Amino acid sequence: MFNVERSGNEVRKLSYKDDKCLGCGICTDVCPTSSLRLGPTVPIARGLIEMDLVSCNADSCVLCGLCSVACPFDALSLTIDGEEIKQMANYPKWDVESKVCEGDCIYCGRCYNVCPRDAIIFERTLPDRQALVRGEIEINQDECIYCSFCADLCPAEAITVNNIPTSSVDKLNNSIEVDTSKCVYCGVCKRVCPQNAIKEVCSTCMLQDQIEVPEVTGDTYILDESCVNCTWCANICPVDAITVTKPFDGSLEVIENEEEEKICKGDACHACQDVCPCNAVTIVDNKAVTDLEFCNLCGACVTACPQNIRVVSRTAMKLDNINSDSWNEILKTLLVGK
Amino acid sequence: MAVKIDSDKCGHIENCPVQGLCIKLCEQGAIIEEDGDVKIVPENCDDCDLCIQNCPNQAISKA
Repeated sequence: MFNVERSGNEVRKLSYKDDKCLGCGICTDVCPTSSLRLGPTVPIARGLIEMDLVSCNADSCVLCGLCSVACPFDALSLTIDGEEIKQMANYPKWDVESKVCEGDCIYCGRCYNVCPRDAIIFERTLPDRQALVRGEIEINQDECIYCSFCADLCPAEAITVNNIPTSSVDKLNNSIEVDTSKCVYCGVCKRVCPQNAIKEVCSTCMLQDQIEVPEVTGDTYILDESCVNCTWCANICPVDAITVTKPFDGSLEVIENEEEEKICKGDACHACQDVCPCNAVTIVDNKAVTDLEFCNLCGACVTACPQNIRVVSRTAMKLDNINSDSWNEILKTLLVGK
Repeated sequence: MAVKIDSDKCGHIENCPVQGLCIKLCEQGAIIEEDGDVKIVPENCDDCDLCIQNCPNQAISKA
């Protein structure tokens, strides 16, 4: 994290948040004064070096804010007299969004588990198991020998047996209890009981029309500050409740050159896989394979590849409201890719 | 083909900003520590060039 601040007619402050940075190098590509520098992304991704992905030469930075506008992941922000330029009417804005339609979500939680950035907040309340079943269970204490077969086998862990004397005074003080809030009337206890001491009747099937299944409630929410618009969540959602807008359209290719020995070294290297924020790269048969479905075309892997054989081509971007010709000139270079 | 290390530029672990980053990066065992210095094991090198790209002293190049 760094801040560059200067006061003149106005107070300008550039802030960088490393936890939002993907190490894609877009900011360093667009900086008109070459003040931003991308650090060693692979050693950082592997945890070998602890440092920020991007650093800034405060002496040469002119605090123009172009980097903050170009960053699709909101890792940089420039404020003028305390106001963020991305909130100002004349400055460019990214039209990217990932959101969950609450009405459609069934709270399966698969998006939460698959998100490579832990950007999803998810919680749900399931109905009590007891509300879904009907039945009766009774244990005849006179017949019970406290062998604990039933308790050990009960899949719901609903039976508690005390069969060890706590003192010589109450050595016959055994007990067996069924927690009916846990029992699902499966009948395993009854079948295993050597004394036929358990009576159990399950009427769940018989009464199924009368048993109302309570609704699962919950909350699923995507944190803008952590989301990288990779679309894993939208892709895995079984009810299409999630929509994601990616910052770029385009493609990413691996162009090998056997003559110059520029070829993917797969498992030996896997630099691209390590830096990919989207979990879009897999090594298959000793070659890096990128699933474009999940790639956000940030280009972090392009910079990380020591063979320099990865090429990202961006054909469109969701950055609108570019009013300055000179900024437009620079920002449109993002489309050519690298 | 492997790689070679320019001894003048190399930080020799002790003076390397990351105490032997190349050794830590190479998962092929082609760059190892021996007697407190960096040693290349050419037969293990897969020519991935990760070490060349990431050496903070630019001391590594193609052999």
